[in-house]
Amino acid sequence: MTPSWILDILAAVMLLVAAVSAGRLVVARPWAGSPGDADIDVAHLLMGIAMAGMLVARLSTLPNDVWDVIFTVLTGWFGWRVYRESRGEGARVLADGCHMPHLVHSAAMLYMFVAISAPAATGGSMGGMGGGSGSTMQTLNAPVVAFAFAAWLIVYVVLDLDRLAGPGHGRGSYFAPLAAAPARAALVGATAGSGSVSLAVASAAPAGPGGSVAPVPPEATGPGQPPGAGNSAGAGTGDLAGSARAILLGPKVAAGCRIAMGLTMAFMLVIMI
Amino acid sequence: MSDVAVAGGQAARRGSLGSVVEGAWQPPGTRRVLQLALAAVWLLDGVLQYQAFMFTKGFSQMLAGTAPGNPSVIASPITWDARLVEHHAILLNTIFATIQLLLGLGIAYRPTMRAALAASVAWSLGVWWFGEGLGGVLNGGASPVNGAPGAVIIYALLAVLLWPSDRYTATAPFTAARAVGAPAARALWLILWGSLAYFALLPANRAPEALHDMIAGMADGEPIWLAALINHAASLLAHQGLAASIALAVALVVIAVGVYLPPPGVRATLVLAIVVAAVIWVFGQAFGGILAGGATDPNSGLLLILLVLAYWPARAGGRVPAVTVPAAAQPAAGQEGGVA
Repeated sequence: MTPSWILDILAAVMLLVAAVSAGRLVVARPWAGSPGDADIDVAHLLMGIAMAGMLVARLSTLPNDVWDVIFTVLTGWFGWRVYRESRGEGARVLADGCHMPHLVHSAAMLYMFVAISAPAATGGSMGGMGGGSGSTMQTLNAPVVAFAFAAWLIVYVVLDLDRLAGPGHGRGSYFAPLAAAPARAALVGATAGSGSVSLAVASAAPAGPGGSVAPVPPEATGPGQPPGAGNSAGAGTGDLAGSARAILLGPKVAAGCRIAMGLTMAFMLVIMI
Repeated sequence: MSDVAVAGGQAARRGSLGSVVEGAWQPPGTRRVLQLALAAVWLLDGVLQYQAFMFTKGFSQMLAGTAPGNPSVIASPITWDARLVEHHAILLNTIFATIQLLLGLGIAYRPTMRAALAASVAWSLGVWWFGEGLGGVLNGGASPVNGAPGAVIIYALLAVLLWPSDRYTATAPFTAARAVGAPAARALWLILWGSLAYFALLPANRAPEALHDMIAGMADGEPIWLAALINHAASLLAHQGLAASIALAVALVVIAVGVYLPPPGVRATLVLAIVVAAVIWVFGQAFGGILAGGATDPNSGLLLILLVLAYWPARAGGRVPAVTVPAAAQPAAGQEGGVA
């Protein structure tokens, strides 16, 4: 059996991803304005909690049936987002679309909850991948589907890593839609008084819906003010908070969450074959 | 038109809202795609290495099982290694799995690509010896159907051929020739596929029931549909070991020398190579046994297909284009940009 401490570490990573996603939502405050791509952070938050519960029994939170409903809804939602994206991009969204990976993640989660076949799964919730009692390894029905999902997730992990340092990174690229709207919110919320904040936001902001460029509107930085000209009052703490926000909402954090989640999900699928 | 020119055009495409997408993701070139595929396979290997079976004595027994038949100078270290793994299964297997994960992540992340590729060559050679017993090359049990000359040695070969060097780009007629030159790349191809032809004709492989037994043995634990396919293929080869081995060897020889033909002949050869590799991967290797659980890698069939793609002739003018990277698209020093 896969050692429990490995599962514990991965569960901790998933909880960290969930916490970071929650932090991004709180900082971006999507309820106060444009929701942007808050759905992605919500999905990461839910997936992180669900996966932690799958990995370690004592972290299980909701019954499987509830998770089934949640991931059915998420799969449908991202399916719709991909459909919308594909109307402009065509089949290119399979490799280049910013919502396709989240559709695969959601569908893989749904599959795992539906296809689990160990006795421990017959109760209200999963007993963790160690089988709850530690005596029974949970397995998945239709291992071909598990392998296909795992391979697909690994492909996205590899593509995400390549894009992190590839041509165009940080210049309105693949990950930017994850952070575009929150970054604007951060800019509005923060004093935006430092060059570092401006730089970080500039690198995260250019993309809008569908991956297209949506320049930060002038009003986002305050009427008549350049991005670096914030309030002088509280500028010190504002700088720090603004920098922290910019980092938290930056595309690399979003990419890191997705890479960690994709790799952990692939791990779970493979060891349950 | 070069890959870069194409990518550059795409970078300036219009978005769905009519705004110009500057700096949008550019599809990587052929070599980078193959590097990423290699990274994905390493990641898959790393994940597979975390399976429950690998933390049991079964894994050390699997390692020890590659020693018999090898010269003692080869076999003794394998036996020692297997014993070590048996005593420290959890620690060592965790290290093995993590190394393979890091190799995959490192190849995929451009700033660490060179170091990861170099490390993957060293790791592959180590696994080839200590984990695969040199692929059975020296014990008479090697067969192209069961993964000879060892899947992991093809990882090393791919890492060398896909090394991000453009020393020979100006004259390279295919991707694999960019780092080592066309003559060396073709020679490596000839050695690999020629050795596969030789292994196909070994006495152990041309016995009447040899191929049948080898293929039928892969059905255990597989999903019903795959087991049925494998059993059907095995039944076709019952008592046909000699004829099947000769036919396979002929096909492999044709593939081995085919890279020296003009481009149309090369393409036909590579298509044949893909078909042979795919047939071996599905029927002879059952996708590496991944679907049955307990596999450490997808075996050689998938790697052979990747290798074939690295030899696919370049489109324009029969040469891999020498590229000029626009200043705006240039990556940091030491990285390979979208110029593969």
